[in-house]
Amino acid sequence: MSNINGKVYAMNAITPMKPWKTWIVRGILFLLGNFKRLRQDVVDLSFIEFARWVVLPRGGFPFLGNGQVKENLRYDYLLFFSNFNGTWNQYIDAFSAVLSKGLNLIWRWSEKFPGSVPVTLFMQYIALLQFDTDYYYSAYPNATANDIESAHIVQSSLDQLAAMAEGSSPQQFADAYLRFVLQVQCHLGATGNAPVAG
Amino acid sequence: MSKLNATDIQGFVLRGYNLPVARYLFLHFESAPRARSLIARLLAHVTTGQRWDGSKPKITVNIAFTHRGLVHLELPDATLLSFPVEFQQGMKHRSEILGDCGVNAPERWEAIWREDRVHAWLGINALTPDALDARCSAMVSDIEETGGAIVLGSQDAAAVVIDGKPTTKEHFGYTDGFGNPDYLGVERSSQPGQGKLMPNGSWAPLATGELLLGYADEAGEIPVGPVPHLLASNGTFMVYRKLHQNVATFRGFLERQAAAYAGGKEKLAAKFIGRWRDGTPIELAPDHPDPSIAQDPNRNTNFTYGADAEGTRCPIGAHIRRVHPRDAFGFNGRLINRRRITRRGLPYGRFAAEGDPVSDTEDRGVIFMALNASISRQFEFVQQQWVQYGNDAHLGNDKDPLMGNHGGHGRFVVQGDLSRANPPLICSHLPDFVELRGGDYFFLPSITALGMIAMGLVDPR
Amino acid sequence: MPNKNGSVYGLTILSPIIDDDKATPSHDLQIRDYLARLSTREDSPFAVAPGTHLARLVVLDDVIYVGMPACEEHLKSKYLIFESNCDGDLDGYLHGLADTIADHLDAIWKHCVGYPGAANRQAFVDYMKACQLNTTFYFAAVNDKSVEETLRALQTKTAVADFIATHQGADPATLQREFIRFAAELKARPIPRPGSMGPLRDIKTGGHNE
Repeated sequence: MSNINGKVYAMNAITPMKPWKTWIVRGILFLLGNFKRLRQDVVDLSFIEFARWVVLPRGGFPFLGNGQVKENLRYDYLLFFSNFNGTWNQYIDAFSAVLSKGLNLIWRWSEKFPGSVPVTLFMQYIALLQFDTDYYYSAYPNATANDIESAHIVQSSLDQLAAMAEGSSPQQFADAYLRFVLQVQCHLGATGNAPVAG
Repeated sequence: MSKLNATDIQGFVLRGYNLPVARYLFLHFESAPRARSLIARLLAHVTTGQRWDGSKPKITVNIAFTHRGLVHLELPDATLLSFPVEFQQGMKHRSEILGDCGVNAPERWEAIWREDRVHAWLGINALTPDALDARCSAMVSDIEETGGAIVLGSQDAAAVVIDGKPTTKEHFGYTDGFGNPDYLGVERSSQPGQGKLMPNGSWAPLATGELLLGYADEAGEIPVGPVPHLLASNGTFMVYRKLHQNVATFRGFLERQAAAYAGGKEKLAAKFIGRWRDGTPIELAPDHPDPSIAQDPNRNTNFTYGADAEGTRCPIGAHIRRVHPRDAFGFNGRLINRRRITRRGLPYGRFAAEGDPVSDTEDRGVIFMALNASISRQFEFVQQQWVQYGNDAHLGNDKDPLMGNHGGHGRFVVQGDLSRANPPLICSHLPDFVELRGGDYFFLPSITALGMIAMGLVDPR
Repeated sequence: MPNKNGSVYGLTILSPIIDDDKATPSHDLQIRDYLARLSTREDSPFAVAPGTHLARLVVLDDVIYVGMPACEEHLKSKYLIFESNCDGDLDGYLHGLADTIADHLDAIWKHCVGYPGAANRQAFVDYMKACQLNTTFYFAAVNDKSVEETLRALQTKTAVADFIATHQGADPATLQREFIRFAAELKARPIPRPGSMGPLRDIKTGGHNE
């Protein structure tokens, strides 16, 4: 089983919720989804490629007959799937240091959530409800969210330069080229293998 | 919080002694009882963190142990197993994590570090070479008399002397010694820029627990430490790395790159590190060094990168920006407050002034010693994520220009602007300027803990 | 809109796994075994099928008991989770899977209750939709670029860095000429295959001590 592919880590977590609390979580996730300002910190952290929360009510487990036994559960469940860059420790540390209020808002409705600060209890909780990935695919495993963001900036700047390259004089081009280099100069990091984790 | 009990903490932790010569002895224990009696003997000489009112001592002595050293001192199993994992494994076993491969691989280390025999580090600092020799022979006599250890080897180190005076220069010609953090309760002349950044732009000391075990750290918890608490309190962990410097390669590379750089050689050298060779931070003085800044403790480390997001003054991948990003990652620096280390090293080997002939094979470099409460969270993290990698700075796989294990393939981008003296430049094919020759992880106990070890009183619950 | 973020779709499928104590190894173990041996590189089924940025397959063994005073409960079946971050709309993506990697789909999902096989497209799509969970909150760092655009941009980034590095100090005329040639050549270059920049797969989990 491998949670890691190149530079990206697949985390899966499942937490139980008393059903009356599920509606609160739905409301919070709705607000989060519709108000960009609330998401800004996640964007600024810039090490998450994709992440999702899935509310799974106790009656929401697919039931397809054919001999399957229907679930009879007391709790609703909250599934969390994250695709992030960096090590497990770095990820949880950063969330605890910077996103604790937001995480508390979503996870405090889960049973026995200890709060995202202090970090050690939080890490123990995550470790308890994390389950491992059997198969993890990425179309670009050696690229992080930062690499991808940089790549799109470079592509867009290049396209602009290429569009004017033919029709300009050498000096005009040289000036435009210098401005192009300044546009992309923070975005030229090499792409290679991930640092070894543990 | 109240003042620390400085007499219980080894002096090496609380202050850089600024004594110009040092010798590090590496010991191996054969018999636990004899080793313990040696430690009891040495205890009388171990320098504490007590302030020196009046005269500074001419000699200081400090001691630290590897995990296998503690095993050979026959500490209880429960204690040995309660040390952090990375310390138990030792630096050699963490080489993959640290990027210690290629020229830095353990197979290429000096024999003393390749063989897992180092049990203790005995650090002696002195004002003069004579004082150093005298103390060392006295120590060696003690060691032989008690039969407590074998001296596996020693390493000399010394401040670079220029015009008869010791300096804080290192072999590439840079002035070192600016980066050490402030911690709560540790008395030292506080410098703005050394601690953590507060929302209002001022600097505050870091939590004591980032350096010392037994105190709250930046996450509001006691750092992981061994049991019993008494063994851990007031102690810390030390990372020791002997870094050979390829000065000839460095000078040659700088010359060649500078030929293509309109800012000139000294400016390019400053761009690699983030400081001019005299120590002036280029963030504050982008065009030329400024001794009035470099020599003013209130200014020489008092800056942030917020106004330089594009790296046009201090390149994004420059060494000091990598290892201490300050506010460069946003969130008021909260993501970096737990990634700071205290450095205590000294250069070793003959200093060759600019213009003097120099060869890579000559034995010279720096003894890098870092002190931190958590080796994995602090030193290893910085080494793995910020020195041998660049993603957090949005630099992909680019490594630290001076410290990275480039293997000839490295790249360093000097961001620039439209001005003629500050053009963008890409340096390619970076070689290995620095090579790791060995080292290990050590535990630096408090005076109380040393006494407990010496008297065989370590008792886990 | 649930499940979608910009042009990226967050697909979450939860398929009950057949519980048959006469099967040895059990169906969930057979899935795990198949997945452990499946390549995650350019010959991965998800590299072959179009539109997948990142995807994972996870066998959910059971829910987790978090400790008193929470109540202990257990699932009656195991489930196969398929979490995908993909381009386009749901129907298009599912049809794309069935068209290109039917064998793999069948090999994996044949262990799941009520799976009709990928040969019958409509039945396959209906089955997947019956197992689909609504992605309540979906975050994507980049939500407006397809897999191909991303792969092309990553290739461009490397090529541009190399071009800039090797053309420092060139005179304007040479620079312009070389750049035009470079841009044309880059544009014509095929994009790297998805999954192709991956390191060799290793059974290594992210330890908590790194």
